[in-house]
Amino acid sequence: MNKIEKIWAGIVIAILALFLSTLAYSITIGYNPPSSGALCLPADLEKFNPGVIEREPGVYEVNILAKQYYFEPFKITLKNPKKIIFRITSIDVIHGFSIVGTNVNVMVFPGYFTIVTWEPPQNDQREFLIICNEYCGTYHSTMYSKLIIER
Amino acid sequence: MSYSTENRFIKISIIFSFISLALGGLFGLIQLLARTPYILNIDPQIYYMVLTGHGVLMAIVWTAFFIMGIAVFVTTRVLKVNLNKVLLNSSLILSLIGTILAAIAILSGQANVLYTFYPPLKAHPLFYLGAAILVIGTWIFAVAIFLAFLSWRKSHKKEAIPLPIYGVIATLIVWLEATPGLAIEVLKDLIPMSLFGSPVDVLEARTYFWYFGHPLVYFWLIPAITLWYFTIPRILNTELFSETMAKVVFILFIITSTPVGIHHQLVDTGIDPSYKYLHTVLTYTVAIASFLTAFNIIATLEKSYREKGGRKLFGWIKNQPWNNPVFASLGLAFIIFGLGGIGGIINASYSLNYIVHNTVWIVGHFHTMVGTAVTLTFMGATYLLSPFIFGRNIFSGRLALWQPYLWFVGMMIFSLSYHIAGIFGMPRRTSSILSYSPIPSEWVYLSQIAMIGGLILFLSGVLFISNIGLTLIKGPVISMNGESLNIDPKPNTMFDNLKIWIIIAVILIIVAYILPFMEIYTRGLSPVQPRLP
Repeated sequence: MNKIEKIWAGIVIAILALFLSTLAYSITIGYNPPSSGALCLPADLEKFNPGVIEREPGVYEVNILAKQYYFEPFKITLKNPKKIIFRITSIDVIHGFSIVGTNVNVMVFPGYFTIVTWEPPQNDQREFLIICNEYCGTYHSTMYSKLIIER
Repeated sequence: MSYSTENRFIKISIIFSFISLALGGLFGLIQLLARTPYILNIDPQIYYMVLTGHGVLMAIVWTAFFIMGIAVFVTTRVLKVNLNKVLLNSSLILSLIGTILAAIAILSGQANVLYTFYPPLKAHPLFYLGAAILVIGTWIFAVAIFLAFLSWRKSHKKEAIPLPIYGVIATLIVWLEATPGLAIEVLKDLIPMSLFGSPVDVLEARTYFWYFGHPLVYFWLIPAITLWYFTIPRILNTELFSETMAKVVFILFIITSTPVGIHHQLVDTGIDPSYKYLHTVLTYTVAIASFLTAFNIIATLEKSYREKGGRKLFGWIKNQPWNNPVFASLGLAFIIFGLGGIGGIINASYSLNYIVHNTVWIVGHFHTMVGTAVTLTFMGATYLLSPFIFGRNIFSGRLALWQPYLWFVGMMIFSLSYHIAGIFGMPRRTSSILSYSPIPSEWVYLSQIAMIGGLILFLSGVLFISNIGLTLIKGPVISMNGESLNIDPKPNTMFDNLKIWIIIAVILIIVAYILPFMEIYTRGLSPVQPRLP
């Protein structure tokens, strides 16, 4: 390889190293993709109650069950949430769970729990659209729900 | 030297790839119109049948058959060898049977599982069986090419491997690295699920799938890059800027194209974040190969301009044979490859992926890559090689010149609007966006703009297919039998010793995948019952 190629290869590696270090930095401040890995065996599924639990003021645990072709509960209303912990599982096939317009966007597997923590923008009160964004069967496009944040 | 068996193989596989492209394109049009609000209302079952067909035909059948045809052409003509007839014929028959079985399952509406076929969604057993037979056919094909290559190598030990052959061999090595993942998933999980209703662990199956699914991308891309390296300098009557760098690129693809699959699973539950980050790092390593390719091609363009006496700083962009259909196809494909590559870096990013995951951004992305960098290059290669393969000149040179420009414009409109709509969270793989409420207004107008681009793409596809069809029937006949491509032999270097790189690749694959699989298996599986879509 001649000199100009080596310079270019060096530039490329430097650019990619810079990108990777920004990603590494995002890990140190806690921006990890949801990875929990908790299994949801049939016994866990029986005990699973879809709904909202307020753990402490402003901290909500939201349990969601995904099915062909709806989320249970359909409508979630939260008052002044600071932190929301979603625990989601599926009873049948793979689904997606995306809160449109936010960076909450995860896969939901039958047999596993997906756990994702979200701190919604403060002073933002509105209705969010939640959609299933992984193909789950014929009526996939009708699968959505709502998250309403009140202040 | 007579190439009758080889020539028959080339003709059948390439014509079959065009039939797949035509049908896949028609499916693409139906999908486009159905997805755009208020245009075409079809039953969702039909929509997902069409979507499965479009994905399988375009991503697997069109690309694989075209690549096999071109690989036989390049291998026989450059090395001046014959391939083993029995292996060649049986690989073609198995590949065709496998494809037709899977096609029957898809077209009869019994395999609406999309081209990723994630379990526990269940398709008809013929679908998986067809896929397995197709893969076995491609393995036999790889053996035929490797045998010919090795026998040539024995008598040419001191020579460098000619660059196009290097590309063919790298493509097949990547294919052999990747396909075991698919084979395990199909044999262990999907066929028992489909035949006996055996339960399946979703995460395990997905990890095997993406072990195969990402290197599949390089199985398409390496042939396209090889065609750029080989064809562009010949059109410009110059040499490639750096043959060594081209070989380094192929080596990088051999080493790093497979241990990167988990970047498709960044938002999957059950895979440790550190393994996700490892696969992000490895994906960035494979990006180096794309950056080097971009440099090499651009440097070749500039070199040829300077050799012809050009002096302006950016004169090498304009002063190229843009009115040559082959150059235009390859050049425009190359430009879109650059844009798509930048998008790919975003997709693979550990902490940016969840903005774009499963949105139409991804659809926009792979239409720049397999849909243009690869497809438009193959179209250009068809214009170039038609006299050699079919013994006929292209029917209409003028249509052949319009076609790549239309494709480029259509794809820019289509994929840019999908990229933007993806940032607004518009989902992919949905038969309609109108059922959501409230529906973000950006989704509607961006879909409508994308439709305009898609229609231009379809028009370009019709021009290509009809031009090729007319070429086969009415194109001016020219005799080019027994021709070969002459490449001056160069001395052997360390870059021609493929063994070392294959060993490094295998080690890297084991390191990158042993950890996630240990995590999955030590935690214990959680199999679930199959379901119909």
